[in-house]
Amino acid sequence: MKDLIQKRVVLITGKGGVGRSSISAALAHVAQRAGKRVLLTELGDGGSDYSALARLFGVNQLPSSIAEIAPGILGSQLLPERGVELFLSSVIRVPALVKIALSFEPLRRLSLATPSLRELGIFFHLLVCLRAERSPDVPEHELIIIDMPATGHTLALTGLPEVLLRLITRGPIADAMREGQSYLNNPAKAGAYVVTLPETLPISEALELLAGLEKTAVPLGGVVVNRMPSDDFSAEERVELERFMKTQPVFGAGAFFRIEEARRAMERLEAATKLPTVRVAESDQMGAALIQEIADTLEAQCVPARAAQAGAGR
Amino acid sequence: MSEGTRSASPGPVWTPRLLAALVARSKVIVCCGAGGVGKTTTAASLGLAAARLGRRVLVLTIDPSRRLAETLGVSRNPKAPVPLPAERQRAAGILAPGSLDAWMLDAKLVADESVRRFAGDEERARQILANRIYQQATTMVASLHEYTAMKALHGFITEGLYDLIVLDTPPSRNALDFLDAPKRLAGFLDGKMLNMFLPSKAGLINRAASGLINRILSGVFGREFTLELASFLESFSSLFVSLSADLQHVRERLAQDDVAFLLVTSPSEAAITEAHFFHERVLQLGLPFRGFILNRSHADPGNKVFPDASLLSADASPELASALEKLKDLARGESLQVLRDRGLLADLALRAGKDGFALAFPELPQGANDMTTLTQIAEIALAERRRGPR
Repeated sequence: MKDLIQKRVVLITGKGGVGRSSISAALAHVAQRAGKRVLLTELGDGGSDYSALARLFGVNQLPSSIAEIAPGILGSQLLPERGVELFLSSVIRVPALVKIALSFEPLRRLSLATPSLRELGIFFHLLVCLRAERSPDVPEHELIIIDMPATGHTLALTGLPEVLLRLITRGPIADAMREGQSYLNNPAKAGAYVVTLPETLPISEALELLAGLEKTAVPLGGVVVNRMPSDDFSAEERVELERFMKTQPVFGAGAFFRIEEARRAMERLEAATKLPTVRVAESDQMGAALIQEIADTLEAQCVPARAAQAGAGR
Repeated sequence: MSEGTRSASPGPVWTPRLLAALVARSKVIVCCGAGGVGKTTTAASLGLAAARLGRRVLVLTIDPSRRLAETLGVSRNPKAPVPLPAERQRAAGILAPGSLDAWMLDAKLVADESVRRFAGDEERARQILANRIYQQATTMVASLHEYTAMKALHGFITEGLYDLIVLDTPPSRNALDFLDAPKRLAGFLDGKMLNMFLPSKAGLINRAASGLINRILSGVFGREFTLELASFLESFSSLFVSLSADLQHVRERLAQDDVAFLLVTSPSEAAITEAHFFHERVLQLGLPFRGFILNRSHADPGNKVFPDASLLSADASPELASALEKLKDLARGESLQVLRDRGLLADLALRAGKDGFALAFPELPQGANDMTTLTQIAEIALAERRRGPR
């Protein structure tokens, strides 16, 4: 997974409760430490939705337009409305007409109420962030991280260009979809990463999610296994302890059996996929300290030595 | 927050009295909460508990794990609710007239069904179902789940075939969006926006506006797609109107007294914060919040003791001694968890107020089959009733 931070856009996905937002936030710190201009995003709708990701940065919501959320880390929601606005501006090019179109309630509402148009708007918002340049061929946002729930939204967004190109073959939307494909379908520029836990059900769900993602054209980058318990017991100790605990219920038994479960879960994962996996150790830390600890682990596994040095030299 | 003082007097925290009553009397129970807290399992267990009391129950789930879906018999997206297999019902202590049905909501299925009902004739239904925009909109189910959850709920409430419907809300941060669905649809409908796209129905000014809109849309989408969009909206205008009325009806129905909104959480920091957030949202929306369920709780340590060399017999092996020593670290963590979870529960009880409750469901051993888990949790939910005079 050494190439993760060399990409332009990474999608962090996984079922609820696996710590997806923590991993996304930690990756933003990793990129920042490596000297990358990083933009951390999640899908929003401008409403008062709960955002676990934003709370890791001490705010209720990520900003609705790009702003610094931590030293050296920019954040923004990807918003359907904003995407439509940006897209219309890029197509119509006459600001007055864009304004008329946008002030038209029906059009605005249409883009919010129609399921696939929401994804379209989000897609454009992302595309505009990808396109932005500091100077020719120097991207403004070197790495864009998207924290994405493993719901219909993810597959809808990753599969959007293919779906829409079947419907619309010419014109500005088709062009934009092809441009999006040039990023999202290119393994050097994009990757989807699945976050999971070393437990039976989460691993099953991660494998289902991987199968779903494989059907879209977005390249799979790897799997991040969060909250990996450490295993200090020898085989003999394990056997003795298991026998002992059958007659004497003790504290620590739950955690002990979770180690076993984690081992089996990892065997299953590794047998089922050839993708690189990163393990993030379980920790007692909470909040900001936990994010920094995860970032340390990810930095060791997701950053090539050269980039890490360049970052340290800054 | 005065957790310390509160945990000293747990009061009603430990009694499931209120939950048992809700399970016995509510017409609708809505389970909300963050993803990964065991919401679907909780919903299914409460449904099972009610069925054991002789009620006819439907569990409406959205995104169960595959294993739970298999347990409930809904793993293959059936077209209608399926009863839990008879031998499982018996094993779980469900006796007639009690019954437990489950259905996994399939957004496309519900949408197609609505189209068929509203189209009137088969030909028109086929026309709509064949519209490419309709197909894409329903395949890309993302936000459609919210509409269809409400729609399906409406159908089941009106039919009156069930005494209790347990709804498991969609996972994710948008878990309460389905309650805003009517508002969003209404937004789509008012301002005569559909007329803008449908020149035939519009007045002169609207026709002019519609012309401009169409030019802009044609520039953006291409002419062919714009025509298809217009036909999509035309086909759907009547459907939307009726859908919107249904949704408004469910929204009002959910505010009534025989409905219970329960917030399910796990002890994790993130899940708890999210539960607090949902709690506030539910109150803001004027919906009947009833209580918190702290799932996977370690608040009750049972008969566990701290691992210590004194537990060992004289002939214990050195491996066991060293293993027990290593276990101490894990045990410290776990016994702290007991205290922490009690604190969390006390805090949730405080938040729930005097009319609400906070109840802990224990972490059950992994690997047990799901039916066992469901039955165990159902028994906890009914604990007081079982012991009581009835």
